[in-house]
Amino acid sequence: MAGAPLLVSASASAPPVTRGHPVWRRLLIAGTVVFLTIFIVLPVVNVFTQALSKGVAAYTEVFTGPAADQPPRNLAEKRKLSTRRAQSEKTASAIAMSVGVAAVVVPLNILFGLMAAWAVTKFRFRGRLLLIALIDLPFSVSPVVAGLIFVLLLGRTGLFGAWATNFVWPDPTSIAWRGFGGGWPIGFDRFNSGIIFTPLAIVLASVFVTFPFVARSVIPLMQAQGTDEEVAALSLGASGWRTFRFVTLPNIRWALLYGTILCTARAFGEFGAVSVVSGNTDANDTMPLRIEKLWNEYDNQAAFTVASLLALLAMVTLVLKTLIDWRAARSARRDTGATLQAGPPS
Amino acid sequence: MSIEVRGISKSFGPTRVLKEIDLRIETGELVALLGPSGSGKTTLLRIIAGMEHADPGGGSVLFDGQDITAQGIGDRRIGFVFQHYALFKNMSVFENIAFGLRSKPWRSRPDAAQIKSKVDALLDLIQLGSLAQRYPSQLSGGQRQRVALARALAVEPRVLLLDEPFGALDATVRRELRRWLRRLHETIHVTTIFVTHDQEEALEVSDRVAVMRAGQIEQFGSPQEVYENPASPFVFQFLGHYNVFSARGQVADAPLSAGGGEGALTLVRPHDVVVSRNGNDRDAIPARVLHVGLVGPLVRVELERLDRKESIDAELTSEASKELALKPGDSVFVTSRHEHSFEDYSI
Amino acid sequence: MVAAAKRRVIPGFGLTLGYTLVTLSCFVLLPLGALAVRTAQLSWPEFWATITDPVVVAAYRLTFGASAVAALCNAVLGLMTAWVLVRYRFPGRRLLDALIDFPFALPTAVAGLTFSNLYLKDGWIGGFGDRLAGLVNSAGASLGYPALIPSDSLGWLDFAYTNTPTGIVLVLIFVGLPFVVRSVQPVLQEWDAEYELAAESLGAGPFTTFRRVIFPEIFPAWLSGSSLAFARAVGEYGSVIFIAGNIPGKSQIAPLLIVQKLDDFQYAQATAIGMVLLLASLAILLVMNGIETWVRRRQTA
Repeated sequence: MAGAPLLVSASASAPPVTRGHPVWRRLLIAGTVVFLTIFIVLPVVNVFTQALSKGVAAYTEVFTGPAADQPPRNLAEKRKLSTRRAQSEKTASAIAMSVGVAAVVVPLNILFGLMAAWAVTKFRFRGRLLLIALIDLPFSVSPVVAGLIFVLLLGRTGLFGAWATNFVWPDPTSIAWRGFGGGWPIGFDRFNSGIIFTPLAIVLASVFVTFPFVARSVIPLMQAQGTDEEVAALSLGASGWRTFRFVTLPNIRWALLYGTILCTARAFGEFGAVSVVSGNTDANDTMPLRIEKLWNEYDNQAAFTVASLLALLAMVTLVLKTLIDWRAARSARRDTGATLQAGPPS
Repeated sequence: MSIEVRGISKSFGPTRVLKEIDLRIETGELVALLGPSGSGKTTLLRIIAGMEHADPGGGSVLFDGQDITAQGIGDRRIGFVFQHYALFKNMSVFENIAFGLRSKPWRSRPDAAQIKSKVDALLDLIQLGSLAQRYPSQLSGGQRQRVALARALAVEPRVLLLDEPFGALDATVRRELRRWLRRLHETIHVTTIFVTHDQEEALEVSDRVAVMRAGQIEQFGSPQEVYENPASPFVFQFLGHYNVFSARGQVADAPLSAGGGEGALTLVRPHDVVVSRNGNDRDAIPARVLHVGLVGPLVRVELERLDRKESIDAELTSEASKELALKPGDSVFVTSRHEHSFEDYSI
Repeated sequence: MVAAAKRRVIPGFGLTLGYTLVTLSCFVLLPLGALAVRTAQLSWPEFWATITDPVVVAAYRLTFGASAVAALCNAVLGLMTAWVLVRYRFPGRRLLDALIDFPFALPTAVAGLTFSNLYLKDGWIGGFGDRLAGLVNSAGASLGYPALIPSDSLGWLDFAYTNTPTGIVLVLIFVGLPFVVRSVQPVLQEWDAEYELAAESLGAGPFTTFRRVIFPEIFPAWLSGSSLAFARAVGEYGSVIFIAGNIPGKSQIAPLLIVQKLDDFQYAQATAIGMVLLLASLAILLVMNGIETWVRRRQTA
């Protein structure tokens, strides 16, 4: 045994060492499988089982409302039906709220991530490392504290409380076409006031908790790629925008997509921060908040139905992430590994 | 397009990389910036390109007598070839070359057909017409280098700047590409500067060589001038093998820096060393043959001087060697055919 | 400053840095500053009274205790998982590998909901023993032996942890699971098996090889992964409130206390509790960074 294995040249990319005692190996594999089954597989399977425990019709009823195939026969039935309808309307509005919040938060996060990555990777300036650390800061803040700080800043007794409670903003769902009769052609029919305990606060809190996602996934890649390609494009007379759009962006597209889907998942899933700033109003519920309410009302199946939608989103996120990892690994191989092959034209 | 650099200095933090550089390059010249790593040659090239800015305070870069120091890189109309090519990974060879043309402001932008014919012409020039649709990762190093050149030439630059153009290639491709560059320059005749640390490359390809050391230009002249009349021991040393003959005609192989002492320093190229069987010359140094080796048409003889046990390298023609019939252990005398003496020999 | 910005080769410095700083200030620094300002406005006795209130102290103890236990479990189980995923090949490995990230992607409320349901007395795991007994009995009945075992004889296999501190630990293990695995995995992947072969050829057994050769190499990554899991657990709220039971002084975590104080408009107390939580998570990260740098320096020295 001594000496002989040294002759085997194993590199970092060599297949894993599967030697060692087979009993140990099987034990470890079994332990891992059991661990991941109990902690990941079972919980996820449970979500869908509970959601579908009363059948598919009950599942869809949770957000589409009860089907009115026959009119209610008596007052009790009528009351029950209207309660169910009201419940499903709240659930549907929570879904709409989550989609709306994500639709605002994710583009903001992409814009910020790209801006920050450009500033931090293409230039050297004093305080650069501090800036990178500050961008990451929200990840180490408890979600509840994230909500708390916005209440302290913008709540009625907050630092900017007086300003914030009188802040008037247009309701984006009330957008209306006014025509060219004078003034703006597009306007809003409804206006909201205040920030805390309104959807605006949900957006703010979500922006905070998702803050680092895109920047963090893009910065390491842009750092590794350096600035040569950008400088080359500029030397060929390209504008800054053209350089970014046609040279930088294609190089980081997978990392950008990766950060974007993680940000989306978090924007949909954030609970603690949003719960603090939403003010417990049904109209402000997002999907996770709706889950809590349904659960508190002992409507287990409905809670799990909403949860199953989020779990589905998580699964899509995971599939996309795996695909991106795979594509990124492939294009990394393409960009670097092929250097050795001197390919004369056939 | 002539290029003039006037009083350019550059520091990175406390390190001064360039010290008051003055350089004038005539229209159509092919000039090499030659020097060891850290001599500031790449920084100088990048300053001419506009990728680096010189320290504020008087220095300027002029193209055809026009001060362009304040111009950005995109406005200088230069073609730059990076050491590692910096080809756009996500674009095909064709798109890489067309990028500069497509980036022009719309008033001066050629239409699709013009771009196509122009890129095709460039592809012919670099002999890669059949690889237009390939991606950079599917090309060999030499092919990438040529694509990088074509991409730079597409925008009809006023000057062509190349940073260690052959640095990342293996020896054969390197030699081939260097001739190709020379021929290319003869056909397109655009003022060209390239940076290299390889003296052979600089001497073979360029019209004039600027030898740089520690942020200064030691000598600027034609390859012949620089090789035959080096301005300093550094230039002499950098351009090839050498033996150190001191002022008293003594030989030492000690590194120049250890040469110390007063008086002139005398350096001799191995091919200027004369070996004879009899010591008629008063200055001849007695030596012993250690090793005789054949290198192509030349015979390389390793000698050890008898008085100081130090070695001398000599290169003899095969005829001379046959005449002498040297073998290890023989006692001989050494003189020089041609030597270079320097008053100041700080290296 | 203007001149310096003008002299940069790549354009967009002013725009991108300006946008970054403004956004960062508005959405992150300003709100965090509000927390600092509000804390500074508290008088010291007020602050001290709040954070030493028995209910608050109990909440901190629960939060940090449960988080520490969960992080420790993750440290061990995560190391095992990373090792198995990198070193062994078996069917289903890629699937398991992809599943590791699930806790990052799954909203915490969903995790809390499903965990609290699983560990209920009649849930899959909370009622595992009873279900098993039922299964045994029905199998026995079909073979002609009804009531083979008493239906409550496997009660010790009922892991009904909902509304107990153990339940909190379980859900925190889930939440922190990816941190250790994903920190250790790349280091193991880069690890050159030649070192191991060399150690074994010198006569070291596999256990010694692991302890003396491999473990020191992955230690910094392992430590940082475990600390991240801990820090994450300390701040966790969404998943825990579903399973904790939330009895004041017994199963109330610190973040929940903040929410309750806010609901009662006791902003000062919420601020004090929140500040301690924030400082704790920053301290964890600082200590972790310190240890990591120290280990790295010692290794390279």
